[in-house]
Amino acid sequence: MIGYGSPIRGDDAIGPLAADRLERAGVPEGVEVVSRHILTAELVADLVAHDRVVFLDAAVDAAPGEVRCRRIAPDATAISTMAHFLDPRELLAWCETLYGRFPETFLVSAGGASFGYANYSLTPVAEAAIEPMLDRVRRLIDRPAGPRSDPS
Amino acid sequence: MSRTVTIEPVTRIEGHARITLQLGESGEVEDAKFHLTQFRGFEKFCEGRPYREMPALTARTCGICPVSHLLASNKACDHLLSVSIPPTGEKLRRIMNLAQLTQSHALSFFHLSSPDLLLGWDADPSVRNIFGVMRQEPALAKDGIRLRQIGQTIIETLGGKKIHPTWVVPGGVSEALTREKRDAMLGLIPEGLEIAKRTYAFFKTLVPRFTDEANHFGSQPTLFLSLVTPRGNLEHYDGFLRIKDAQGRIVEDMVPPIEYERLVGEAVEDFSYMKFPYYKPHGYPGGIYRVGPLARLNNAEACGTPYADVALAEFRMLQETGPITSSFHYHYARLVEIIYALEMMDRLLRDPGILDARVRARARSNRYEGIGVAEAPRGTLMHHYRIDDEGLINWVNLIIATGHNNLAMNQSIRQVADAYVDGNHLQEGMLNRVEAVIRCFDPCLSCASHAFGQMPLSIELRDAAGRIVDTLRRG
Repeated sequence: MIGYGSPIRGDDAIGPLAADRLERAGVPEGVEVVSRHILTAELVADLVAHDRVVFLDAAVDAAPGEVRCRRIAPDATAISTMAHFLDPRELLAWCETLYGRFPETFLVSAGGASFGYANYSLTPVAEAAIEPMLDRVRRLIDRPAGPRSDPS
Repeated sequence: MSRTVTIEPVTRIEGHARITLQLGESGEVEDAKFHLTQFRGFEKFCEGRPYREMPALTARTCGICPVSHLLASNKACDHLLSVSIPPTGEKLRRIMNLAQLTQSHALSFFHLSSPDLLLGWDADPSVRNIFGVMRQEPALAKDGIRLRQIGQTIIETLGGKKIHPTWVVPGGVSEALTREKRDAMLGLIPEGLEIAKRTYAFFKTLVPRFTDEANHFGSQPTLFLSLVTPRGNLEHYDGFLRIKDAQGRIVEDMVPPIEYERLVGEAVEDFSYMKFPYYKPHGYPGGIYRVGPLARLNNAEACGTPYADVALAEFRMLQETGPITSSFHYHYARLVEIIYALEMMDRLLRDPGILDARVRARARSNRYEGIGVAEAPRGTLMHHYRIDDEGLINWVNLIIATGHNNLAMNQSIRQVADAYVDGNHLQEGMLNRVEAVIRCFDPCLSCASHAFGQMPLSIELRDAAGRIVDTLRRG
């Protein structure tokens, strides 16, 4: 479970805050929870070591508070121009290219209402979206193991 | 008719920049500029905040090297407290700084610069990227990931898994090291060192291929600024400022960092949001200097660890005499520093006092002005604060590693453009070399402008009347 986003950009922090809440509430054995400001290259080694990965993020293209869950796949064209951080699909493409496999991966996101700079708190609508996000996450955790990638 | 070439965005760097090349009537380069195009203003909005918030605030300047800001800021706060932090607290801070350096240098070499170094400057841009490297040199790419993972794991072991660790605090660190954590970190070092040595050995075989680039990538003389130990050795956390000239003469030595203003002035230009620091006694813009791995190795008498000292001796053989002047060799210097960082972390973790529980000095503010200087991966990082009677910040100055290199980066792109750019026959490979010289410096423009947002880069071609006639844009 990887929550990511900036802690000082208002609702952008929903991913790491949701991850932190999930960790505090407890997760089954074998589930690891991490929070990140940005997604960086070394995460590739962690991704390939897991069967299933769920990214938690804020969305700018969804209605505020709207929770979405979708499966994502490697995409080598999803390259960030900011060289030091990566899109989750690019991370998966790194896994596929380097290791020949990638985990079953989902993106659980919630629409944000405000991404203002130097804003350390969530809007009420984003705050209210955390529990529905975690419901989705827990369902994904409980889901029977799916097939790992078969890039061939 | 003269023209201007604009490279925008500059790719595989951190932040958002543009390069413009002004061409003359016959296509020769008349002028070259590196523009930082975004503004952030950290120094201003820190005003009014309690000084104890500064480490947490300024760490957010950068998502990549928050540890560097955390350390420089806490050192400025140590100064405000007027305390000498416990030796174990200092060693633990040093370990975190070296872990940051390891992962940052690994990113620069393996992921940002290796596409040029391994696939060639003139390779098709659609394959001259990290995926091209993964296909051609998968073991090298995996090594890069692992080295970053080792650096990040050490940072998280010390600071916790929070996005911006609050373990480094004014006066030291908040928590002593446990034996279990110490052993876990020690267990990572041998593998990291093997990767570093392997990569260094491999890179040495590549260097002879780049004689032409080494001769033209920012090889013009400048001063070099860095911290050194009291013995004049490689230093990343404390020590004294040293400035050496291109002939290897020591111009300034053993200058306490709190006297940095005696050495460094800051100029501004209307074409960039990045400031232009310069060596005051030489004036602006004559006081051009470089910081970072190249400057640190040029200034150091020795690294002080076994394998890094061998590598340093080999580094010095890149040139017959004097300091290594080519900015191309920043890449080489980074690999030497990774070896040093791993060896030094091993030494510090084995220090008999590293598990000592006394890791923090406690005090209130005892002066109105605090200065903290440390070496970030990209060079010397300076935090300078003034506070009022209530401990509220009323003035801040941050001089960032990339800012120190601003004059040198501008000089370097001019040199590369002179050597490679023919305005009558513009080719992507030419422009990539102009970008690549900037990547030698591994600039972090988010920090340097305190810029905000993405940092793509462009090259712009302008005629004598200033009209844009061609643009190469990315991002």
